[in-house]
Amino acid sequence: MTEEETVRREVAAKAYALFGRSLHIRTVDTGSCAVCESEIRLTSAPHYDLHRLGFFFTPTPRHADLLLVTGPAVRAMDTALRKAYEATPDPKVVVAFGACALGGVFSEDAFVHGTIDRVLPVDVYVPGCPPSPLALLNGLLVAVGRLEEKVSTMRFDRMPARDAG
Amino acid sequence: MRAVLTVLLIAAPTLWAIAALLALPARSFAVKRLSCVATAIGGVCALVAGGGIAANGWQLAGVLSANNVVGQLAVRAQPLSAVFIALLGLVALAGGLYAPRYHRQDPGVGVYLFCYNIAFIASLGVLVADNVTVFLVAWESMTLFSYFVILRRHRDGSVERASFLFLALGEVGFAMVVAAFVILATHTGTLDLARIAANSGQVASGWRDAAYVLALVGFGFKAGFVPLHIWLPEAHPAAPADGSALLSGLIIKLGIYGIALFGFYLLAPEFAWWGILTMLLGALTAVLGILYAMVERDLKRFLAFSSIENIGIILTALGGAMTFASYGLRGIAALLLLAALYHTFNHGTYKTLLFLEAGVIEHATGTRDMDRLGGLIRRLPSSSVIMLIGTLGIAALPPLNGFVSEWLIFQGLFQGFRIPSHLVAILIVVAGASVALTSGLAISAFARAYGISFLGMPRTREAAAATERDQPVIGPALLALATVALGLGATVVLGALDRVSTWVTAVNIHSRLVVPNFTVIPARTDFASISPTYMAVFLFAMGLVALAIYLSARPRAKSRIAPVWDGGLLSFKARMQYTATTYSNPIRVTFEELYRPEVHLERASDDPAGRSGHVHYHFMVMPIFERYLYRPVVTAIERIARFVRPIQSGDVNLYLLYIFIVILLVYVLYLL
Amino acid sequence: MALWFLRGLRRGIVTTGYPRRTDEWAHSLPSPPSFDSRVLTPRLVDRLEEVCPNGSLRREGGHLLLDVGSCTMCGACENAARHAVVPSGSFELSATERQHLIKRIPIEGSDR
Repeated sequence: MTEEETVRREVAAKAYALFGRSLHIRTVDTGSCAVCESEIRLTSAPHYDLHRLGFFFTPTPRHADLLLVTGPAVRAMDTALRKAYEATPDPKVVVAFGACALGGVFSEDAFVHGTIDRVLPVDVYVPGCPPSPLALLNGLLVAVGRLEEKVSTMRFDRMPARDAG
Repeated sequence: MRAVLTVLLIAAPTLWAIAALLALPARSFAVKRLSCVATAIGGVCALVAGGGIAANGWQLAGVLSANNVVGQLAVRAQPLSAVFIALLGLVALAGGLYAPRYHRQDPGVGVYLFCYNIAFIASLGVLVADNVTVFLVAWESMTLFSYFVILRRHRDGSVERASFLFLALGEVGFAMVVAAFVILATHTGTLDLARIAANSGQVASGWRDAAYVLALVGFGFKAGFVPLHIWLPEAHPAAPADGSALLSGLIIKLGIYGIALFGFYLLAPEFAWWGILTMLLGALTAVLGILYAMVERDLKRFLAFSSIENIGIILTALGGAMTFASYGLRGIAALLLLAALYHTFNHGTYKTLLFLEAGVIEHATGTRDMDRLGGLIRRLPSSSVIMLIGTLGIAALPPLNGFVSEWLIFQGLFQGFRIPSHLVAILIVVAGASVALTSGLAISAFARAYGISFLGMPRTREAAAATERDQPVIGPALLALATVALGLGATVVLGALDRVSTWVTAVNIHSRLVVPNFTVIPARTDFASISPTYMAVFLFAMGLVALAIYLSARPRAKSRIAPVWDGGLLSFKARMQYTATTYSNPIRVTFEELYRPEVHLERASDDPAGRSGHVHYHFMVMPIFERYLYRPVVTAIERIARFVRPIQSGDVNLYLLYIFIVILLVYVLYLL
Repeated sequence: MALWFLRGLRRGIVTTGYPRRTDEWAHSLPSPPSFDSRVLTPRLVDRLEEVCPNGSLRREGGHLLLDVGSCTMCGACENAARHAVVPSGSFELSATERQHLIKRIPIEGSDR
């Protein structure tokens, strides 16, 4: 086990100890095209049933443990995003959700910051355009230390055995 | 002990007279302050005397002067009036402590304080009168000096109209009261109230009905039940704060005293319909009063409508007591009478407090419009605590006094099923339900009044600049203390009030009402019981439990203070807040048939994006009673006046001719 | 509603079993590309870099840098070179570090 991996496990264990099995999510839309939001909304549909895993959406950051940020961090939302971040009680987790939030679609210019991590310290990145509800579940579980992060060991240099349909 | 109380009872008006004289000529502020101190000490005397007389169930009688023209000018403080004397003392005490800081050195304050003190003496005269003449003279001077009190700011145009309304309705009521007394005096052949009370049983029942109805309406003009209430919301804002407190705390209660005097003392409550009429009028008044209060933005008008509501509740209890008494259920009648008196005293306490605080707000911010206040809890800290206690009291929340008295009223009205007549039983239930609706709406209305004015952000620059410096605190604080004490010490108060109801109804319910361990049980042990004292202890203990939980389970981590979450707005503006108008909108929509509102909406442009510039929204409740009840009467009188105007030319010769014709007619009649 | 009900009757549990058990169709969702490094050549990679609308693909010497984070799974690279690129079929891509999402793929083929 490498040192990095040990640290990561410790962090995961601490996150689990802090949040346990209940976590409240506040979403902040910083200029997304709303497809990410529609996927987020789908996670509370019966099939994905976010609540069975102990995640809940809350309308105010005051009750939230996790800020789920979508969109490329438009500058017009700076104040609102900062206020939401400050209003969230510590300890808190910030999840950047979707390719825009990760810097995939917009580059920095006069109107957007381009990526969320230029504005806030991001803890978990969820790629995808949009990320599927399962990807969000994965991201949330990684965020609270209930799942191992898989992507760091994943390789993209082999054709998968199974042909994608 | 009796001697002490007698001395105190004589000392009170003497001190007020001294206060009045001190206030009049003095130019220096110190003498005016002395005058206010005298008013307050007189208030203490009256409070102690009234409380002592009520608690012992004594009667103190005396004769001012004996001559054969108007009978003996006799005075008598009996237990029923003692309750009101104690209330008078409380109002005077608070007013005296409040006045020096409120009025400061405004011009004309000397005359005002003179009238203010004389109004107290006149009110005391009404309460101790044992003779029709004394009563009527005192009543009339009470009306007159209250009118002068309202006229304090006579240079404002609206004050003139408001005070005239008060005086005009007061005089109409006075005429009816005189008629009622004349009926009783001529049929019993005496002017002594005690002898009228003793002999009224022999008066023909038709005359007794007439006397009671005349008294109910006549005193009703002063008490202000619907539809005789229209002077209250006009006169209260016009008067200065302590004047409004005098009106609401005392003057309208004298109307209640008059009705109780006629209903229970001068005439025995024999006919059920007297009580039912009184009770239903009370129920209507309560509901309409609070509904009108609900949409009122002016703090003082709001409080005036709330006074109407409380008069309705008191009247319901009083009418209920008379109904039960007429059916021979004297125990429940005594309970309801006691509850009515208790509520009268309570309302006098916290309504005086609220009006005095409204004056503080008006002085600190320059406005009484709730929609121009806000955020006062930071700027007027002690006033906000005092006002909160008064608000909780009047909203009838346990364990304060309003809760205890309203609870007793409910318990009394719930006993309606003991009445054999189904119709009457149903009417009593209807009255009880109306009072229940009223107290529910009252909580909402007072949450609105307090929340909009004291919480949130200041809506105007004046409200933001409000400060408590030099504002009166002691007078209202004393009333807040009384509000708490009257609630927590309910068993003690009930013990004293029971002597009163025993004196009036000749039934002692004390042993059934108050059990030794601070618990109140109306009527039956198995029916209901409360203990305000234990309730307060319990609430306090629950507070301690919450504190203990907080202290033990408090997170050990360092806390971080973040600004209030405002939804991520760039800036939070005061005008984004909920206003008094929006708060009451659901009620307004629900009861649109009653309010028949006139809404004016003016906007600079019709841009749907909201960039419409200034928007003016004006909402006015239609004054139904003014328009459909008083306006036709006034119009008719004006028409008659126009009809007789031709004979009033102003020419002296013509008037001489009139006199000549009249003398001629008299001669002709004599010769015939 | 009826559909859910029938499905529930047939399958017992309607809710997905994730994370204990993954739905089989989850791997057929749009996903970032996977490359066959044996057939990747520098020229092909340059073309892929041109094709990619987000700049997620970049050649750095003998390596192809794939930024999974900025990939929008549009399939442009896959359409450009079907013999070398297929969807990875992976959706569990959440990372605690941005760097974990940048993959270095060796270019093993040559342009000759």
